[in-house]
Amino acid sequence: MFTKIRKRDGRVVDFTKEKITSAIFKAARQVGGEDYETAENLTERVISYLFKHIKDEIPDVETVQDAVEKVLIETGHAKTAKTYILYRSKRTRIRETKSELMDVVKDILVETSRDNANVGNSPSAKMLQIASAASKHYYLNNVIPEEMSRAHIVGDIHIHDLDYYGKTLNCLQIDLTKLLKDGFNTGYGFIRPPKRIGSAAAQAAIILQSNQNDMFGGQSFPHFDKSMGEVIRNQCPDTTDDEIFQAMEGLVYNLNTMHSRAGAQVPFSSINLGTDTTPEGRKICEAMLKAFGKGLGKGESPIFPNLVFRLKEGINMNEGEPNYDLFQLAINVASRRMNPTFSFMDASFNKRFGDEVAYMGCRSRVIANRHGAEKSATRGNIAPVTINLPKLALKTKDIDVFFMELNNILDLCSRQLVHRFNVIAALKVKDLPFLMGQKLYMGSESLKDLDEIREAIKNGTLAIGFIGLAEALIVLTGKHHGEDEESWKLGYQIIEGIKKAADNYAEQYDLNFVAYATPAEGTSGRFIEKDRKEFGIVKGVTDKAYYTNSYHIPVGYQISAFEKIEKEAPFHKLCAAGHISYVELPSSPKSNLQAFEKIIKHMAKCDIGYAGINFPIDECRSCGVSGIIDNDCVSCGSEDIRRIRRITGYLSTIDRFNDAKQAELADRVKHAF
Amino acid sequence: MELRVAGIVKESVVDGPGFRYVIFAQGCNHHCKGCHNPDTHALDGGYVVDTDSIIEDIKQNRYIDGVTFSGGEPFLQADTFVHIAEKLKETGTNIICYTGYTFEELIEEKDENRMKLLALVDMLVDGPYIEELKDLSLTYRGSRNQRLIDVKSSMKEKTVVLEKLYRDAV
Repeated sequence: MFTKIRKRDGRVVDFTKEKITSAIFKAARQVGGEDYETAENLTERVISYLFKHIKDEIPDVETVQDAVEKVLIETGHAKTAKTYILYRSKRTRIRETKSELMDVVKDILVETSRDNANVGNSPSAKMLQIASAASKHYYLNNVIPEEMSRAHIVGDIHIHDLDYYGKTLNCLQIDLTKLLKDGFNTGYGFIRPPKRIGSAAAQAAIILQSNQNDMFGGQSFPHFDKSMGEVIRNQCPDTTDDEIFQAMEGLVYNLNTMHSRAGAQVPFSSINLGTDTTPEGRKICEAMLKAFGKGLGKGESPIFPNLVFRLKEGINMNEGEPNYDLFQLAINVASRRMNPTFSFMDASFNKRFGDEVAYMGCRSRVIANRHGAEKSATRGNIAPVTINLPKLALKTKDIDVFFMELNNILDLCSRQLVHRFNVIAALKVKDLPFLMGQKLYMGSESLKDLDEIREAIKNGTLAIGFIGLAEALIVLTGKHHGEDEESWKLGYQIIEGIKKAADNYAEQYDLNFVAYATPAEGTSGRFIEKDRKEFGIVKGVTDKAYYTNSYHIPVGYQISAFEKIEKEAPFHKLCAAGHISYVELPSSPKSNLQAFEKIIKHMAKCDIGYAGINFPIDECRSCGVSGIIDNDCVSCGSEDIRRIRRITGYLSTIDRFNDAKQAELADRVKHAF
Repeated sequence: MELRVAGIVKESVVDGPGFRYVIFAQGCNHHCKGCHNPDTHALDGGYVVDTDSIIEDIKQNRYIDGVTFSGGEPFLQADTFVHIAEKLKETGTNIICYTGYTFEELIEEKDENRMKLLALVDMLVDGPYIEELKDLSLTYRGSRNQRLIDVKSSMKEKTVVLEKLYRDAV
């Protein structure tokens, strides 16, 4: 009789039959068995079976387990056998995913993964990516209900920022006014309210940085001109224009240099401004625009912050209005730097909030609230999930079946978001020391260190997003919504369906569910790759490296800029959790500002909520010349060119784009020449 | 009438102020070194379009601020462009024209059709592209010798008057 057994890693250890007995007994108990003696008898049968078949060889674990299965079935213990087999396959899956994880780690150590265009290549970046891979693995296999993690893995849906699933929530519009008035504590001591504009700007950077470490998404100031203007008014009314400019320039520098996200990423910062008409607020706005326009040390275009210029009739939209000059300055800067982007306070869905609606650079918008004040500051998105619309269409091929399946997926998404909400809601204030500890979130004011954060975060939004409306329509009707009126109507109906479902979930769960035009940076490539494997190459659908963003008209389709705006605008009001539209220009429109203003005004007329005007920015790193540079710098011949483009809302340099987004970039056609 | 074109761009932001409808004439006799559109040089290249359909297309376009004649060399088909320009001027459309000739050359030449076309144009971008004078920072032009000319004022004052808006940038 054998006395040894070979483990999976090849080591030979002493054979103990109690281990077999214990495994059989555990499986039996799962189905109501209580008799240990039967388990012992079965173990004897397993051993004699093995002895008969392998003689004196040393058996390995798999052989022993096969024998157990065989004996259980042959002796009529079917239920116990089933439990045993299920347990065994689950263990196998865990072992396999562990080895997948090791493969992922190996890949990361070769080159940093490119899911996010603004993560660098530093050792800390690699460390961050590995921790992220391990976290994803953990949440998918141990925390998220299997039905949902399966839907994510097969690509029916995408659960965003999985690595942060249970650690924290997405983004925040920070109440800068309050923090600069009351002071704050980053954990190493109290920071006094600023007495000078320079310190206020430095503190603003520290606040963005500190809170970025407590969250996985963007950090934004909803009323930067008002917050900073108040500091000047109350603390330092004698501040000179030059001092204000220096302060804003310092902030821009800070936001492009502080690698505060585990040493790998600068905070995803956004700054909303444009409607403060006080002299101090106007000066802040002007200085910030000018500092951004001036660029970094060699005149390079800043990547951060994402500036969002608010437009409102009576304040800055038309000649003669008090901040029209700032609108003109904003156009001037945007025509060279692709920033600011523009938000429209008079859009039908924004108007009732005055000039309160703030946007996050990625496009998120948080305003309506079932549980408290309807304002931007102190709130944000909790988490998004994205539906793979093209796959749904490829699976169903029929409009009626598509809508039925869409309802099932929406239902799954709502339950997934509620699950995530409950996991995060159980976190304690002390888990998020700055965000909750320093009372940055609405409703966190009265919470103590060991309290759950549930009462606070119910003021945030749960976003149900989607990708690839265009490709889904091509599958269902043969044409996308940019080229055919009937397809457009169907597209509108689909997104309206998502909106109505979100409204229903809001009622059902009493949480802020909202429909969302997901930015989907990593998702666009992940989905299409899976779908190509499953459905093959489908023309206009899976024959490229990316799915078209949200409700956007395909980037490769020739269409008038004005028509594109008209066709995309109606989707803005359906996607209240966030929306954006772009117009692509072939080069910087800096010498044609009237064209720029005309597009912006057309956007306002069409009920657009948030938009950006894109064009290539190529900058020579050697001599600083900027323009369209094909290969070498036209001025000094250098090949070291920094190429900046907009991706999912934020700016980035091309070398940081992932493959799918690089492919999309190559396909983007300009809407005007 | 028939016009030989290299192409038509319905919304341009780089061929003059605002959004412009641009007609690229086919055929050019200047052969500038480093030309941006060498495909437009051959006199028999491109394709032929009917002027009425172009004029109709321009009138259909709700958003353009003006029309730009570019090329190629528009003045090689001056009579046809005169026909288009006259129709456009009925509704007061702003017209910009690019040419490889200088303003002075066109005036001295005294060609009837070319003078007529010149008189219908609001702004003329004149002169050949000279690669050695290439400058990325210029407005609506490629090289520093090229000028943005206010044609009406220039005709009146019988000397080149630069477009006011862009005088500083020259």
